[in-house]
Amino acid sequence: MPPALPLPRLRTVAVAAGAALLAKRALRRRIRKSPLWPLPALDEPISGRLQRRSTTGRRLLVTERTSPADGVVRLRLEGPDLPAWEPGAHLDLVLPSGLVRQYSLCGDPADTGAYTVAARLVEDGRGGSREVHTALHEGMEVEVRGPRNRFPLTEAPAHLLIAGGIGITPVLPMLRRLAAEGADWHLLYGGRSRATMPFLEEIEKLGAEGGRVTVVPQDEAGHPDLAAALADTAEGTAVHCCGPQPLMDAVAAALPPGRTLHLERFSAAGTDPADAEPFEVELRRSGLTVPVAADQSVLAAVRAELPHVPYSCEQGFCGTCQQRVLAGEVEHRDELLTDVERAQAMLICVSRCRGGGRLVLDL
Amino acid sequence: MSNTQPAAVASERTLLKARRVNFAWDRTPLHWVPGDPFTTHTINVLHLLLPAGERWFIHVYRQVLPYIHDEELRQDVIGFIGQEAMHSQAHDDVLPHLKEQGLDPTPYTAQVDWLFEKLLGDRTLPPGRARKWWLLERVATIAAIEHYTAFLGDWILNADELDRRGADPTMLDLLRWHGAEEVEHRSVAFDVFMHVDGSYRRRVRTWATAFSALAFLWQRGARFFMENDPSLLEGKASFGQFYRSGRRGTLPSTPSMLKSIPRYLSRAYHPSQEGSTAQAVDYLTRSPAAVAAEARTTEAR
Repeated sequence: MPPALPLPRLRTVAVAAGAALLAKRALRRRIRKSPLWPLPALDEPISGRLQRRSTTGRRLLVTERTSPADGVVRLRLEGPDLPAWEPGAHLDLVLPSGLVRQYSLCGDPADTGAYTVAARLVEDGRGGSREVHTALHEGMEVEVRGPRNRFPLTEAPAHLLIAGGIGITPVLPMLRRLAAEGADWHLLYGGRSRATMPFLEEIEKLGAEGGRVTVVPQDEAGHPDLAAALADTAEGTAVHCCGPQPLMDAVAAALPPGRTLHLERFSAAGTDPADAEPFEVELRRSGLTVPVAADQSVLAAVRAELPHVPYSCEQGFCGTCQQRVLAGEVEHRDELLTDVERAQAMLICVSRCRGGGRLVLDL
Repeated sequence: MSNTQPAAVASERTLLKARRVNFAWDRTPLHWVPGDPFTTHTINVLHLLLPAGERWFIHVYRQVLPYIHDEELRQDVIGFIGQEAMHSQAHDDVLPHLKEQGLDPTPYTAQVDWLFEKLLGDRTLPPGRARKWWLLERVATIAAIEHYTAFLGDWILNADELDRRGADPTMLDLLRWHGAEEVEHRSVAFDVFMHVDGSYRRRVRTWATAFSALAFLWQRGARFFMENDPSLLEGKASFGQFYRSGRRGTLPSTPSMLKSIPRYLSRAYHPSQEGSTAQAVDYLTRSPAAVAAEARTTEAR
C-alpha cells in the first residue's frame, strides 16, 4: 500500500476547480463579446441565399379581371413587396387544381405591388387556360412562383419585335421600355382579327410616330409578310419573337444573317414529348459521346455509360442530376435552376439540347 | 448470435420518392407556436442546420454510390437523396421569411455552411485509403444523425400538443411532411453504413461526435434566436425551459431523448425497429403539401 496522499490530491482538485472556473468565466466573457464565437463562417454563405425559392409559393389576390380582347382575360394579381422583373419575364401560376402554367408578365415592371398576366382560352389546350378563364375571379387567391426570365430584351442598335396573338404579352413591356428610351424599334403584330388581338389601342399609340407598328389581322390582310419585315432590318438588329410555333419556325427560317433571334416558347413547347428531337451528348472527362434518342432523357443515355451518375426525382425538381454544361445550347425543362445557374448547368433528367445539336457535359 | 446482429423489420420498408412540395410562408407569424417563443425557436434551429446539413448528406452520398452493390439499397439511396434534396430546399426557403420578420439567420447559417462545406467537406487527401476512410467516417456520421432525424420525425408526427396550442398549420405541415419522410427512409443511412463498413467502433465514435455536435449547435441556435428575436426584450434560452417544454409535450422530452442513446449503441439496433412507416405514409396521404405535390406530379406525366 503506498501511503495515502490526501493533501496533494485535495490541492489538485482545488487547482482543477479553480482553473475550470476561470476558463468558464473567460469563455463567458468571450462569448458575450461575440455570441457566435468560436466557429468560423463561410465567406460566401450559401444557406438562405440560393435565390431558387423553389418550394415557396406566394399567394396573390386577384383584384381585377378584365377582357382586353375576345377570348382573352387579363388578371391583376396583388401582393406586398413583389420581386422585381424585367420585360420578357413570366410567372408560374399554380391553379386551384394543382396545374402549373406559365404566363408572361404584361404589366408595368415599376409596379412592385402587382403582377399582370393575360391568358387566351385555348379550346383544345391542356386545361390550364380553361381553368384561368373559369376558375379565377376577382377576390380569389392564387399561388404564383417566379418571376423568371428566359426571354430578356437584349441590347442592340435596333429591334424588331414579332408577336402572334397572345404572344404579345411578353412583347408589350418591351415596347413600352423601347418607346420610353427612344430606341429604334418596329413591331409586327399578327392575329386572327382585330377583335381577338389584345392591347391594340395602347400599341398603336406607342407606335404612332414614325409608323413603327404594323398590325396584321388575318381576316383583313392574311399572314404577316415576315420576309419583307426581316429584310428591312439593318445588320445587328435583335429580333424578338413570341407566338405560335409555326410563326417562330417561319421567322427562324427567314432570318437574314447578322441579326440575332430570340424566341419565347410560351405555349409550353418542350414539355410536349412529341416535339423532342434526338441529339448527341459528349462526356468530356470520360471521353465518350452518347446518342440521346427522341424518347430518351439525357440521364438515361448517360446512365448506360456511367451507371453511378447521381439522380433522383427524374422530373426536374430535386436537382440531384445537375451537371455542368461546357458547350451547346440547352433547352431547360426543369422548374428548379435560376437563370444564373442555367447559364452553365442543366438538370439532365428533363432538359435537352435545343434544335437537335450537341451538348458537352463536364462528366 | 442473432441478438447481436442488426435485425431489420421487413414490413417497415417502403418505396422512397421525392415529393415536389410547396409552402407559402406569407402568413406564418414569427412565433408560430403562439405565445411560446422558446419552443418556436428551438424548432426553428432545424431551419439553420438542415439546409447545409442535408446538402452535405447528398454531397457524401453521391460519392458513396459507386460502393453500393445491392440494387435494392441503391434504389433506396436514390430515393433518399431526392427526399433530402427537397428537405434542404424547403427549410432553406424558410430563411428569407425569418429575415423578413427581422430575425436575420445569416450569421449563424454562415457558420453551419462552413462546418459542412469546409470542416466536413472533401479534404485534400491522397486517393486510396485516406480518402476512403474519410468517406466512411462521414457515412457513419450521417447514420448517427439520421437516428436523430427519425427520432424527431416520429416525435413531430405524434406531437398533438402543438395542434392544441394552435401552432401555424403551414409550419406544422412542413415539419410533419419532413418528419414523415425521415421516418419513411430512416433505415437507409444505417443500411448504407452497414453495407459499406459496419464497424461497431466507428458507429460509437461517430455517434459521440454527432451527438455532441448536435447538442452544441442546437443550444447555440436556440440562444441565437432568443437573443436576436426583435420582439423579445431579454430573450434567453436555457436547459430548464427545454426540460419543461418536453414535459408539456411541445418539444421532445429529455428522458425520451436520453433513452434513445443506448438504443442506437445496441449491437442489435436497426432503425426499422422504431417508429412506424404506416403512420408516416398515412400522414403523407393527408399532408396538404404532399397531396398538392402528388397532384402536380401526376399532371406532369
